[in-house]
Amino acid sequence: MKNIQRLFPLLLLLAVLLGWSVPVMADTLAEIQQRGYLLWGSDAEGGAPYIFPDPKDPSRFIGFEVDLADELARGLGVTARQAQNAWDSLIPALLRGDSDIAMNGIEITPQRQQEVLFSKPYYLYTEQLVVGQNETAIKGVDDLAGKKVGTLSGTVAQDILTKMTGVEVKIYSSQVAPYEDLAIGRLDAVLLDLPIAAYYGKPNPKLKYAGPPVGAGFYGIAIRQGDEPLQQKIDAILARLAASGRLREIYEKWDMWNEQQVKLFEEAGGEKPGFVDLEASKRAPLHTFIPNLLKGAGVTILISVISMALAVSLGLILTVIRLYGRPPLSSLATAYIELYRGTPLLIQLYILYYGLPNIGISLNPLTAAFLGLGMNYAAYEAELYRAGINAVAKGQMEAALSLGMTRSMAVRRIILPQAFKIALPGVTNDFIALFKDSSLVSVIAMVELTKTYSILAASTLRFFEFGLIVALLYFAMSYPLSLLARRLEKRLKRSNR
Amino acid sequence: MIKIRDLHKYYEGYHLFKGVNLDVAKGEVVVCIGPSGSGKSTFLRCINGLELFQQGEIVVDGIELYSINRQRPVAKELETMRQVRLKVGMVFQQFNLFPHMTVLENIIEAPIQVNNAARDATIEQARSLLRRINIEQKATSYPDELSGGEQQRVAIARALAMKPAAMLFDEPTSSLDPEMVGEVLAVIKGLVNEGMTTLIATHEMDFAREVADRVVVFESGDIIETGTPEQIFTNPAAERTRVFLSRVLQR
Repeated sequence: MKNIQRLFPLLLLLAVLLGWSVPVMADTLAEIQQRGYLLWGSDAEGGAPYIFPDPKDPSRFIGFEVDLADELARGLGVTARQAQNAWDSLIPALLRGDSDIAMNGIEITPQRQQEVLFSKPYYLYTEQLVVGQNETAIKGVDDLAGKKVGTLSGTVAQDILTKMTGVEVKIYSSQVAPYEDLAIGRLDAVLLDLPIAAYYGKPNPKLKYAGPPVGAGFYGIAIRQGDEPLQQKIDAILARLAASGRLREIYEKWDMWNEQQVKLFEEAGGEKPGFVDLEASKRAPLHTFIPNLLKGAGVTILISVISMALAVSLGLILTVIRLYGRPPLSSLATAYIELYRGTPLLIQLYILYYGLPNIGISLNPLTAAFLGLGMNYAAYEAELYRAGINAVAKGQMEAALSLGMTRSMAVRRIILPQAFKIALPGVTNDFIALFKDSSLVSVIAMVELTKTYSILAASTLRFFEFGLIVALLYFAMSYPLSLLARRLEKRLKRSNR
Repeated sequence: MIKIRDLHKYYEGYHLFKGVNLDVAKGEVVVCIGPSGSGKSTFLRCINGLELFQQGEIVVDGIELYSINRQRPVAKELETMRQVRLKVGMVFQQFNLFPHMTVLENIIEAPIQVNNAARDATIEQARSLLRRINIEQKATSYPDELSGGEQQRVAIARALAMKPAAMLFDEPTSSLDPEMVGEVLAVIKGLVNEGMTTLIATHEMDFAREVADRVVVFESGDIIETGTPEQIFTNPAAERTRVFLSRVLQR
């Protein structure tokens, strides 16, 4: 028990360090102006022409919504900062306070209007059907019965498709993947917003438009309910941008401006200044992406190291309680270990990040990543320690007790030092595994190495070469660890000290 | 010094001790002999609380251990057991040195950690103990660099460093190669000659005969005979003692 008391301040410190932020629903407008920047939620993965990494300097994001966000921020007297989140989680993330606004081709729909406020529309979109170059049967949305059609999760296009009878709808979470699958024949057609089709579908020689755009709707900026002052301010800025012609300038720059917006992308038109098309991204020299990738690798290392530190210490506490604690504490520790080992890490991460806000606890992505990985791996470390402790000869505890030691002193001075040495190679191996599992935290809006890869690959379609580079980076980081693990194993075999 | 009254112990459902009594006076050397499994090791382990017993009482230097029936002893009972262990040193068949510590660290660990003894003085005392068992040059070696005989001598020194009032030896030479038995027995003999109250469980009959003030014969969890070495080895009263002795002395 004394041991646990000693560990308590450590736990407290950990809790303070990791600290959770509860979303402040007060006056967002005042808060933005006080803090000096506007957090706008968007998904940079496959986000062109909305938001995507600049091929000339991939650490920067560009796109028509980046320009728009800069204008909005300027209107508010602050600067704009992007808050990364998966597209279909943008509104939940806004509600939990990860961003001030969400602006990423979010269609204004009645369902969404029940959840959030919308600004005045800033773009009129249509849905465009894209098919393979040799497709003859599908001439428009009316020919889709019995076909496999891809779209993006949570879009109006998805609603349209699911309402049609006999269509096999394939839902994607990135806007680039459906076109990739269409090009290699996994899909018969893709229905998505015209700007997306124009950027990813049209330039692909294996694909073509089928029929005229259908449906029409508006993109709006999502704002939390209760933030009416912010909404009014944004509407005023949008009106000013429209009146001054600046909005039109932005759309023209990104080749999105047209009164009818139907003929817009049919024009062969040459490149306009400032417009970056898919070809430019595809051709950009590799070295320009290195800083981005290294930054992602840095985040991966940070997450892995801190999570492992948490796993190693929490695992120790769990083992000591499980083996030496009294019921019901010991049963609780056992239950924790079994529960965390018996459920997928992915689900644990979802619950931590998206589930806890439902009961009023909102963790920031980094904290959720540390806790998610750390608490999961703590269960595995606990099992390794337990195996280590069980491998220490029974006579060691008896010898320590016979010398007048208390049980907790014997555990601390005699049993654990020996158990650690036995467990060490396993712990090192787990660190390598955790290091690779850290890629899972990309689902909770952490831009680490894997997420960096999907963002870069999606905007350039260079899945293969970036894939190899990222794999190489992971390997370069994990291989030294394997060498270390092997050396430790050898040393352990040589001596039982 | 040590008083055992009406000791009952159940061992995995089997009623091993059915009311064992024994008194060991201060400075007395009692040697327990008997076939393997007769309970002499368990008896020793009961005395310093490594085994629980279900009925009876054990008094060591004024500290009373009562029977404990529950699965997990409560804190107060654990503390009483610890107090008893501070009075009696224990030497195990398997040595049980701490493999992650040097010889010197093995010896000073408990005095410093348990008694909060001053480090320098403890090291001095440990060195003189090592001199006494003639192993001073191995102070910075690790246990796995020592022979079995050396390890057992260090284990004895480690127990002595806590300045116990009595010593328990649980078959101290049973896992040693024959050529090392002598050096360990010599150390024990030296200790006995200095007047240490000692209880020894052993299969070394010559040694028992040489050092014992009293020999206790165990069989099936019962003391079947107690007497001077002279009586037991030359003219045992119990038939079962005679059978046991003829079997071991033949070898």
